[in-house]
Amino acid sequence: MRETAAGAEVAAEALFSIRDISKSFGGIHAVRSVSFDIPRSKVFAIIGPNGAGKSTLLNLLSGNYQPDTGTQIFDGVDLAGKPAYQRARLGIARTFQKIRLFKHLTVLDNVIAGFHIHRHLPAWEYVWPSRAAALDRKRCHEEARDLLSFVGLADRADTVAGSLAYGQQRMLEIARALATKPKLFMLDEPAAGLNNAEAGFLLERLDTLRKQQMTVVLVEHNMELVMNVADRIFVLETGRQLFVGTPDEVQSDPAVIAAYLGEELH
Amino acid sequence: MTSTSSRWAFGSARWLWLLGCIAVIAVLPLIFQDSYWRGVMTICAINIMLALGLDFIFGYAGQLSLGHSAFSGIGAYTSTVLVTALGVNFWIAALCGIGAGGLAGVLLSVFAVRLKGHYLAIASLGFAVITYQILVNWISVTQGPLGIYGIPSPPPLTIPGVVTISFADQQNFFYLVAGAAVLSYLMLYNLTRSPIGDALIAVREDEISAASLGIRGTKWKVVAFGIGCAIAGLAGCFYASFIGTLVPDAFFILESFMLLAMVVIGGRGNLWGAVLGAVLLTVVPELLRGIGDFRLITYGLALTLVALFLPGGLSGVLIQFARRFGGGARGALSAKGPSHA
Repeated sequence: MRETAAGAEVAAEALFSIRDISKSFGGIHAVRSVSFDIPRSKVFAIIGPNGAGKSTLLNLLSGNYQPDTGTQIFDGVDLAGKPAYQRARLGIARTFQKIRLFKHLTVLDNVIAGFHIHRHLPAWEYVWPSRAAALDRKRCHEEARDLLSFVGLADRADTVAGSLAYGQQRMLEIARALATKPKLFMLDEPAAGLNNAEAGFLLERLDTLRKQQMTVVLVEHNMELVMNVADRIFVLETGRQLFVGTPDEVQSDPAVIAAYLGEELH
Repeated sequence: MTSTSSRWAFGSARWLWLLGCIAVIAVLPLIFQDSYWRGVMTICAINIMLALGLDFIFGYAGQLSLGHSAFSGIGAYTSTVLVTALGVNFWIAALCGIGAGGLAGVLLSVFAVRLKGHYLAIASLGFAVITYQILVNWISVTQGPLGIYGIPSPPPLTIPGVVTISFADQQNFFYLVAGAAVLSYLMLYNLTRSPIGDALIAVREDEISAASLGIRGTKWKVVAFGIGCAIAGLAGCFYASFIGTLVPDAFFILESFMLLAMVVIGGRGNLWGAVLGAVLLTVVPELLRGIGDFRLITYGLALTLVALFLPGGLSGVLIQFARRFGGGARGALSAKGPSHA
């Protein structure tokens, strides 16, 4: 296991510290004793060959799986045993590798559902709608439309989500997750299945998020996208940490090249 | 100043609908003077409350419950035993009936948290069977299959010096139950268009997605069952007091299927669809009494046809009609029927 010099200074201001987490499914060790820090306001990419355990790792971070061992400290909070919905409330948002929209609802309603944790008037204000509830509703609709503009779906607000084109569904899932106003935004292969124009738009939006100081975790196969947008890259192979570093360091690391391209025969 | 209509997530067209409904309710007993049809109307209002509660659970939160009549039975027996055996005031007993129905719903939701789809349906069916067996066999309290007789009407409401409203009068009793049905509708309507409704629908559509947005499925299932079954409890109180006798058979599982048929035929995930289904499945069988038990076949047939050809129910068909010809029908969260996954 190797770590670059820059790693130490980054750790001091880490948003999310992961130490020694492992996860097995029966006899398969999907993630083996992995440790790393996700720095604030950076794009942190997780790459690795197929079956390396990237999605499992992401599911561990989001609380969809609980690790067998190890600790996770997010923004000063120990996440031990915390299920997905509690992590979302702490500010961890995610998208899914296989799109999971509310596909029978409209595009706008998908995003509105994302605002749920930020709408906490007492229940009776909704049963007998008060002025506060009306304002809450209005503000939520405005913010939802802003997010739809951000992902380029402003004119599709009333469309049923399931009837959107694939790339648009990906962008809608991003808008829905952003509606939770996360501190950490994790995307699981957001460019999968996108055409070049769509991937370019996604790249540009991720760049905007980074400029807005959002911390992003990106699990991605598209190397070009990763190299363009990531500040740090974490390379996973067969559930183990292979390398952490900047895009340049990763590209020149022999172990990474070997994992991706295969070792030279001697 | 903002008009009240914007406070209520309610356009002015919806206020007109509400006023129209109240007018219809006010006029109905004047048109139908004979006690038979007034009775049918009262039962219809009770069924509307039951269907609304079930639609909240099944149509919005997506939890398939085949035991909804059990909750109205629990409400009915709770209030009736309190009134007849302990001499408790009807209104207080009704509150206890609401509470008992709601609590029983929360109890069943414990299963809903662990079971999905068909498994929950079977568990809820089991719950209804157990409730029925308790009502039949706990003779010291429920009188078993013999039933409880001579249940009094609710005591009159007196506004001193102004008016005394007697609920022994069929017309007033109808207004009471219809009023409760309208209030139930308004409450559920506002809830379903609030973040609470958004959460229920999110849980129905995809629980894992919902969790990723901070929405806790467990909590919202409990809420849905609690509220839907509390309304069933109240409907049960009215039922007992209206019929005057209470036998366990009134809450047999067959009744639960009827309620489910109302929701499915009306179109799940649409409150007015539940109302439509309840009205149809209460009134049409009365018109078909001439054909005797053959009317049971019509339920089965209607249910099968709707399930096969109109997955969105009658309300779904009407919405599509409105979209095509009215143009402006907008997409409320529930406008499109839920998945059948």
